[in-house]
Amino acid sequence: MMKKHSVLLKEELCAGCTNCVKNCPTRAIRVHHGKATIKGDLCIDCAECIRTCAYHAKYSMTDSFEDLEDFAYPIVLIPPSFYSQFRKLGPEEIKACLTKLGFKEVVDVSLAAEALSYKTAEFLDQYPGIFISSSCPVVVRLVRLLYPELTDHLIPFKPPVDLMAEKARQDALARGIAPEEIGIFFLTPCPAKYTNISNPLGLEKSHVDRAISVSLAYQAILEVRKEAGSGQEASGGEEARPEEGEEGVLPYRGMGWGQSGGELKAMPETVQGKSLSVSGIHRVKALLDEISRNNIKGIKYFELTACNYGCVGGVFNVINPYQARYNLRRLELKGRKPVDQDYSQYNFELPKKFEELKIGQLDSNLEKAMEKFIQLEKEIEVLPGLDCAACGAPDCKTLAEDIVNGLASRSDCIFLLRKQVGELADRMSALAHELPPVMKKDKKDR
Amino acid sequence: MQEKLILQNKIAKGDFARGGETSSNLKELLRKLGIQSDKNRRVTIVTYELEMNIIIHSHGGEIQVYISSEKIRVVAADTGPGIEDLEKAFQPGYSTADDEVRDMGFGAGMGLNNIKHYSDELEIETGPGQETKIVATVYL
Repeated sequence: MMKKHSVLLKEELCAGCTNCVKNCPTRAIRVHHGKATIKGDLCIDCAECIRTCAYHAKYSMTDSFEDLEDFAYPIVLIPPSFYSQFRKLGPEEIKACLTKLGFKEVVDVSLAAEALSYKTAEFLDQYPGIFISSSCPVVVRLVRLLYPELTDHLIPFKPPVDLMAEKARQDALARGIAPEEIGIFFLTPCPAKYTNISNPLGLEKSHVDRAISVSLAYQAILEVRKEAGSGQEASGGEEARPEEGEEGVLPYRGMGWGQSGGELKAMPETVQGKSLSVSGIHRVKALLDEISRNNIKGIKYFELTACNYGCVGGVFNVINPYQARYNLRRLELKGRKPVDQDYSQYNFELPKKFEELKIGQLDSNLEKAMEKFIQLEKEIEVLPGLDCAACGAPDCKTLAEDIVNGLASRSDCIFLLRKQVGELADRMSALAHELPPVMKKDKKDR
Repeated sequence: MQEKLILQNKIAKGDFARGGETSSNLKELLRKLGIQSDKNRRVTIVTYELEMNIIIHSHGGEIQVYISSEKIRVVAADTGPGIEDLEKAFQPGYSTADDEVRDMGFGAGMGLNNIKHYSDELEIETGPGQETKIVATVYL
């Protein structure tokens, strides 16, 4: 089944408030008939609505561990941010748990992250102009939708998860595993990376087969630990320590990618010196505004992530992003150098160019669009400009646009409705005082 | 399609808080009108430079934007004090902005050059003590 997005609504929980509507960075949500509905073509899977909803009506689903049964040879990819969820369990213990859960192979996406950092640095040396990291799918979707003029500035390489998925599959095939037996699973920190499986960016088909949310994986790992009598992550025990000889074996540098700034830290200092990291969708938007009007000077590369503090801020994570940053930083500090690997094993190039989206135009014909624009100006003039969102649209300008596009009406505005009712009452009152000619004045109270 | 006025904004001297508002609104508007993104970006950059010029250098002014099937025209008109030496104003790095403005990161002396670079046509009417009118055109 082709799914365009993965954010869902529990209708019975939706109170019809407009918190999500107001906070949506692409103005994709409207409350209609008391329920918040998402306009699919405007949604970028940023999960801001999930974060904002006080009633927990917005949520997202992923695949589950039951899906392991679909494949004889399931492989799991661990994203850099996953390790941030554990303070006492080290990477090797976490991997052992996942093996016990039924995965034949446990692979670090951080390896591909290290390779991509190297490849990106090389690319930035070669090409003039400014570039934006394309590793966060929400940022890619945001640029294509609202900053189409910057689409060509997105790095034209696959993100670490796809690089690693492709390589893991090739490696398994090379070892003689049958194609239909291989299932590539990803432990996703966010709905956007789940969406990428059914709706990939720059690829015809995703290299990932299934994605399980970090929260499901976290619970499963705790179960494994309990059964083994090893105690829960939450109680007692020492913080994970580097084991002897681990340096250079595990991709600690790549693990840094799990939080904002980590991608840059995995790059040579020459690149770091002319780059900037920004996280959080609203800050990313503000920055893209400045880039778009050429008001950012001297910066060559932008590491942008939609969640606050990067992937550690993804909505599927279990622990708070502050603790997660600390946990991850401790791992990252162990990686003074990247793992020695042959970067040519990765197939970096995206088969398809990122394309700009043409959504939100009044009309494809300029003349017709102008006519609608004039109408739009009139509607904006009529509306009160209070941006109260009681109409179900985020602000008056958006309601005006919905009216012009035939999706809403002026009476959706409670202030205009009140005014109309008032005027109607006045007219009724005036009418009531107009006497039929057959009646005499002194008999009017009859 | 005949040329139509699509945006008109008054801009006050020294109003840095609203700097960029005109170009941001224009960008959103042109997107709605279905203007190609690369043309939109050029018009946005030109308009941003023009509005910042009015804020930094002039006594205040106004920006008007016109659109037709063939082109977009951005007209920036202020009430003075005029550009002293137009030739110098086009020299990269030349600026009459005071230190305070430069400390804010503006007035780097690239404004007019940028406008010229991103527009297809540029007309400037100015002189010492006079009003300045700049018309930048981007063909669609």
